[in-house]
Amino acid sequence: MTESQLPSEPSGDASPAKPDSPRRRFWRRMFRNPLGVFSMIWFAILIVAWIWPELLATHDPFKQDVTLQRLYEGPSGDHWLGTDQFGRDFYSRVIHGAGLAFRSIIIAMTIAVGVGVPLGLFSGWRGGRLDRAIMWVNDVFFSLPIILLAMAVIIILNPSLDNAMIGVGIAMSTRFTRLTRAVTLQEKEELYVDSARITGLSTRTILSRYIAPNLMSSLIVQAAIISGAIILIGATLSFLGIGSSLDDPDWGVMLNRGRELFRVHGVWQIVPPGGALILTVLAFNLLGDAIRDAIGRDASNNALTITKRVSVAPASTSHAEGDDVVLSVRDMDVEFPGTDGRISQVLEGVSLDVRAGETLGVVGESGSGKSMTMLSALGLTPAPGRMTRGSVQFDGRDVTNLSEGEWQQIRGKDVGIIFQEPIAVLNPAIKVGKQIMEPLMIHMDMNRDEARARAAELLAEVRVPDPERRLDQYPHEFSGGMAQRVGIAMALACEPKLLIADEPSTALDVTVQGQILDLMAEVQQRRNMAIILITHDLGVIAEAADRVLVMYGGQVMETASAGDVFFNPKHPYSKALLDTMPQNHSGEGALAVIPGVVPSATAWPAGCRFAPRCAHAIDDCVTTMPPLEQVESDMVRCLRHGTDLVLADPAEADA
Amino acid sequence: MSDELLLRSRAAEGPLLEVQDLHVHFAGRGRLFGPTPPPVKAVNGVSFTIDAQRTFGLVGESGSGKSTVARAILQLVDIHAGTIRLAGDDVTKVPRRDELAFRKRVQAVLQDPFSSLNQTHQTRTIVGDGITRHFGLKAGEQRDERVGRLLDDVGLSREYLDRYPYEMSGGQRQRVSIARALAVEPQLIIADEATSALDVSIQSQVINVLREIQRSSGVAFLFIAHDLEVVRHVSDDVGVMYLGSLVEQGDADGIYEGPTHPYTEMLIASIPVPNPTVQAGRRALRQSFDNDAEPPSPANLPPGCPFENRCPVAMDICREEVPAAVAAHHGGRVQCHLHTSGPELGGESVVEFITKEARTLT
Repeated sequence: MTESQLPSEPSGDASPAKPDSPRRRFWRRMFRNPLGVFSMIWFAILIVAWIWPELLATHDPFKQDVTLQRLYEGPSGDHWLGTDQFGRDFYSRVIHGAGLAFRSIIIAMTIAVGVGVPLGLFSGWRGGRLDRAIMWVNDVFFSLPIILLAMAVIIILNPSLDNAMIGVGIAMSTRFTRLTRAVTLQEKEELYVDSARITGLSTRTILSRYIAPNLMSSLIVQAAIISGAIILIGATLSFLGIGSSLDDPDWGVMLNRGRELFRVHGVWQIVPPGGALILTVLAFNLLGDAIRDAIGRDASNNALTITKRVSVAPASTSHAEGDDVVLSVRDMDVEFPGTDGRISQVLEGVSLDVRAGETLGVVGESGSGKSMTMLSALGLTPAPGRMTRGSVQFDGRDVTNLSEGEWQQIRGKDVGIIFQEPIAVLNPAIKVGKQIMEPLMIHMDMNRDEARARAAELLAEVRVPDPERRLDQYPHEFSGGMAQRVGIAMALACEPKLLIADEPSTALDVTVQGQILDLMAEVQQRRNMAIILITHDLGVIAEAADRVLVMYGGQVMETASAGDVFFNPKHPYSKALLDTMPQNHSGEGALAVIPGVVPSATAWPAGCRFAPRCAHAIDDCVTTMPPLEQVESDMVRCLRHGTDLVLADPAEADA
Repeated sequence: MSDELLLRSRAAEGPLLEVQDLHVHFAGRGRLFGPTPPPVKAVNGVSFTIDAQRTFGLVGESGSGKSTVARAILQLVDIHAGTIRLAGDDVTKVPRRDELAFRKRVQAVLQDPFSSLNQTHQTRTIVGDGITRHFGLKAGEQRDERVGRLLDDVGLSREYLDRYPYEMSGGQRQRVSIARALAVEPQLIIADEATSALDVSIQSQVINVLREIQRSSGVAFLFIAHDLEVVRHVSDDVGVMYLGSLVEQGDADGIYEGPTHPYTEMLIASIPVPNPTVQAGRRALRQSFDNDAEPPSPANLPPGCPFENRCPVAMDICREEVPAAVAAHHGGRVQCHLHTSGPELGGESVVEFITKEARTLT
């Protein structure tokens, strides 16, 4: 097979920039979190104290003051943290106590993780009755007090902190079993696990190399927090006199002695061991939190939060004239600051108009900026992006610099939005009727009865059978197609002037898609509404759009009437999109493709953004960014337009 | 080697994959008190064959059971009844000791290009794991070289060896999935909605890769998708599923040009054509199928034809009897009463009949 026969993926420039590796991102976030840094410093000290206590300790922790002169002392130059009832140096005893604390953690953790994780993996993977039996026994142990289990082990073996920790380990293993099983049950259903089974990998490989790594993050967080608990339990046992011997520099033992003595000899006796204990437990919990935050996704990356608009540069072209222009956008730029300080311009000079009763189709591959255009035009640019240039008019009014509060008035009432996943928009816990009634009561000043009657009318309008009964149902009782009808009913509730439909039929079956498109057309005719229809499917555009906006790389490539785009495309990208439709493929042989991928917004090509993938690109296209030019009533952004470039296929024009 | 030769010779005699009267039921989950609900009959008596080096396309709406057929063949769900044969060998329920050998023969490319790859592994491991498992080649230069050759085959440069899934686009990830399936040199690859999540332009790239691989390696494909237009372009033969039944199957172009089941015609009429003039004409045809009836629940199938309540030309018999499969003009089979009762179409296309009926109705 030769290279030339294959549609190959270019590497290097066109491939997306290599993002930060998760490991590097993890450490960067850990070091940026002050509480995480505090806990890491504290543990660094404790670890040194554990491995090499002599390095930090100033005295022998067991050396008593035989002169009996220096008992119960406070902090001094010689004894930094004072002395205890035998005149032993508190500071050195606390330092040596770290080793005992870690010893407890290691014993208990080894048992807890060593028993809990394999048991959880096995139980979750096997499932069925055995799983239920294991979890039943596990829950019994889970509900027993930890100290009780520790005492039971001490009774069977003999009293020592180590033996107590064996009991604590068994008790803690139930936490790990639960966690591991929960993650395993969830990961088991993932497609990548199916893929591994199909590849023929053994169960052991799948568990150890596929599921365990995904378990690791929650395991580490849990382990940190449980380590803190183990220290506390160890101290409690020592405090009760069950664990360590009275001579050991154990924090709990010291605390107990301090408690017995502080009425007579001052409160200081409990400060050094108590302080070490509190700081360590706190540090474990903070470490757990810091790790969880560092692993977790950046919430602000995905959330649809609105940033304040600042100094939007004016558009250089004027808006379309006429009473029937519902939405008019001119020269809109939208920028996103990247994590590394670079700015990515996701939209550049986007202009569009949509009039009452008209459907504007917006088409382009994913990553071309279709959805971003609509969000930004409605003041919904997701944070941290912002509109930096341009002008937006809605219903004749300049809305470029509206506050979020003012926007909410317009969006709730005059703009309806339909999303791709109808079910995702509906709150699963609230009856459908109530969700339709809410905007009616807020924006249309209706009372409950009026709103309910109107909601039933709306469901009837979108041809949901038996609307009265359907109002009292929950979203999960609706099929995809029916849920999308509810989505349309909600979007129509407040008589919007503009309906924005973002891939409204993509998630639906093809037989339902037609019904939804018909429904939209029907409602549009009745209400003389403007519709913006975002889709990647040129078939849907052919069915429903009057005018078409072709987007690529955050720019408008072409706007034209639907007929022109299909029969006389002016931009090579429009033509290429048409050619890739399987319906336009005749006969045998490879399907037409657009080679390569949509470039990322951080690395637009210097000249025409489509040039690297364009079959008609010349040298100038690579270096010069073409302007968006007016051609009769249409617009096109191509250097070669108007030259000898021939794109239209006469055979198609006849069809 | 001799095993392989034996397989080849057997394959030459009969079909590579033979699915016979396959039933897959999912048990209803019982409440604490009260009766156990009836099982969901996800696949309800499906039979088809795929010859070596051919592509069989399985098409249908969500909930039609097409993915369950794939999962049954892949031993990922339990089969209620029926048999599956691979080059003559019974693989209905592969015993554990034979599983590795079976996995080497049947591979899959699954739908979601993101979740079907392990996020914690690089391409060299994702593709290489199978090579280690089936050919005993440990991780290292030699295995990387082999993975690199597979990347060549799917049109990815060798730089992608050390990429993680999150560093690749959807199309690139799907190419890695294909390379992983190819790595064990299977006889059959099941592509379950392998291109559905991709942009049309990228979808065509991936389909071309699949075709090229079939041409050079001779692997057979079971190509599952909801888009009949795509399935037609990829497949030699097509099966149309509705509510767990294979209502029509036969030659891809034959079915597309002359569907013999009203549901197939409904699917074809629903595909919007990227041509406003043509589409305006097709709208009327599509609307002749419009009714607001929803498909019945697979847990509570009607006694007659499952498509009856959505069918524009349903007859009385359709409510009472499940239609039997009869021969269709495209060389395949169809399960519809129109061919034996009413107009007695005898396996011919239903297009003309439905168009005429629709006109008299409106």
